[in-house]
Amino acid sequence: MRFTQGIRVRCADGKAIAQLLQEYDKNQSSLNIMGFIGARLYADRDTPGQFLIMADFSEVDGTLTAEEEAKSNNQRNETEGWYAKLLELIDGEPEWIHYDLLYHTGITGNLRTG
Amino acid sequence: MEADAAVLIARGVASAVSGNDGVTPVQASLLTEVLDAALDVRVDVASLAPLEPEAFAEVMAGQSDEFRQRLVHIMVLAELILRPIPLEVALRVSTYAKALDAYDQFVRIAHRYAQGAFGLAWLDLHDHGFADHWQLARMDQLKTNVKLENQLALGVEDGPLAELWDSFKDFAPRTLGKTVWDMYRGRGFALPGSVGGASAYLAQHDFIHVIADYGTNLPAELEVFSLIGRADPNPKGFAWTATLVGLFDTGYIETAGFFDADAKKKPLDKPTMHVRLADALRRGRILREQLGVDLLEVDFHDWVDKPLDEVRRGLGFPPKSEGALSAGSPGVFEAAGMTPFQLRHAASLDL
Repeated sequence: MRFTQGIRVRCADGKAIAQLLQEYDKNQSSLNIMGFIGARLYADRDTPGQFLIMADFSEVDGTLTAEEEAKSNNQRNETEGWYAKLLELIDGEPEWIHYDLLYHTGITGNLRTG
Repeated sequence: MEADAAVLIARGVASAVSGNDGVTPVQASLLTEVLDAALDVRVDVASLAPLEPEAFAEVMAGQSDEFRQRLVHIMVLAELILRPIPLEVALRVSTYAKALDAYDQFVRIAHRYAQGAFGLAWLDLHDHGFADHWQLARMDQLKTNVKLENQLALGVEDGPLAELWDSFKDFAPRTLGKTVWDMYRGRGFALPGSVGGASAYLAQHDFIHVIADYGTNLPAELEVFSLIGRADPNPKGFAWTATLVGLFDTGYIETAGFFDADAKKKPLDKPTMHVRLADALRRGRILREQLGVDLLEVDFHDWVDKPLDEVRRGLGFPPKSEGALSAGSPGVFEAAGMTPFQLRHAASLDL
């Protein structure tokens, strides 16, 4: 099962958050496989200056759940360093949200199983 | 290679890429052809007994680093064609690659696909399959002063380069230069250096379309880039095959600079395409052994005034196998090797 960790923040510069995520992704892609599988950044149309960062996690080898992988990822030095930089960019306290994935539109109609 | 040794290797590879129900028919067909091309021994992969990673490592002891690396890339190829890639297959390939002391970024990339981490996988493939290689790449053969960011970069306007390529039309018929120019004109391709043209680096592969006699539709691009990747003395050349399969077969890659994904037809569903791909790898393997340079670093401009047959002999390009021809591998000017757009363009020229 997938797990998604969200961070809702207020910030004057959404591009700076995007840049920070891009740097994080680049570093992640050089490292060994871990639970983090990607991130998305959304700008709130109804509340200018509000953004939502969604980080997705999956199992790596079956020893930890996706949620446990997310917790493990949060404790890594790279993630803590990234979060410290995020706090410098945002106004006020971030709001955390956590979701298990129950369904997503996928490639099930397009499988090669034979 | 001795037949008994080849069977053991095939057992190891098949075991590495098996799901819980064994190898799929598509994997078995592809592996049978690709291992034949790699080992010169035909083994029916569909009916092999398993071989544990430790036993496989013992079989492979004494083989060169390059041989083990390329064998792991065959495993990864048989993994990359699955959609989706089951996590257990990714873990099994990782285990076997580590046992062979040949775990690399391509094993990691396939594992990322299995996780659903497609964005990270593309970053990984780009940064560790192409960019590392790019830093060492020769550039003077490109005949351009325009600095390119990477192998997959889009072309940019470069008047002198476009003029140089256009001058190929003045060479005699059946020379490399004239034939490449005919291919560009016949397809409606913009010349390198002109608006919409490939970069000077990617345009190198168009010389290989002509020399190796491959078409320009998606299956033929799989052939030409598989040959190029396998001919590269650096096993990182596998990045080309991994990228083309992701773009034009499974759709794991959405876009790669000059190329956009088109995975509707899934050419690797067809056994004939396994024969064609394997033959391209066989030809690449021979070039790697005899020529020993990355084909994209060859200065083809030294050869543009030479007859094609002389170029093929001079560079050591082996012909296509009878099997590949029987499987329908089209030549560069055959209609079967062209996209519908290219066919319409060719018809409009009324040649």
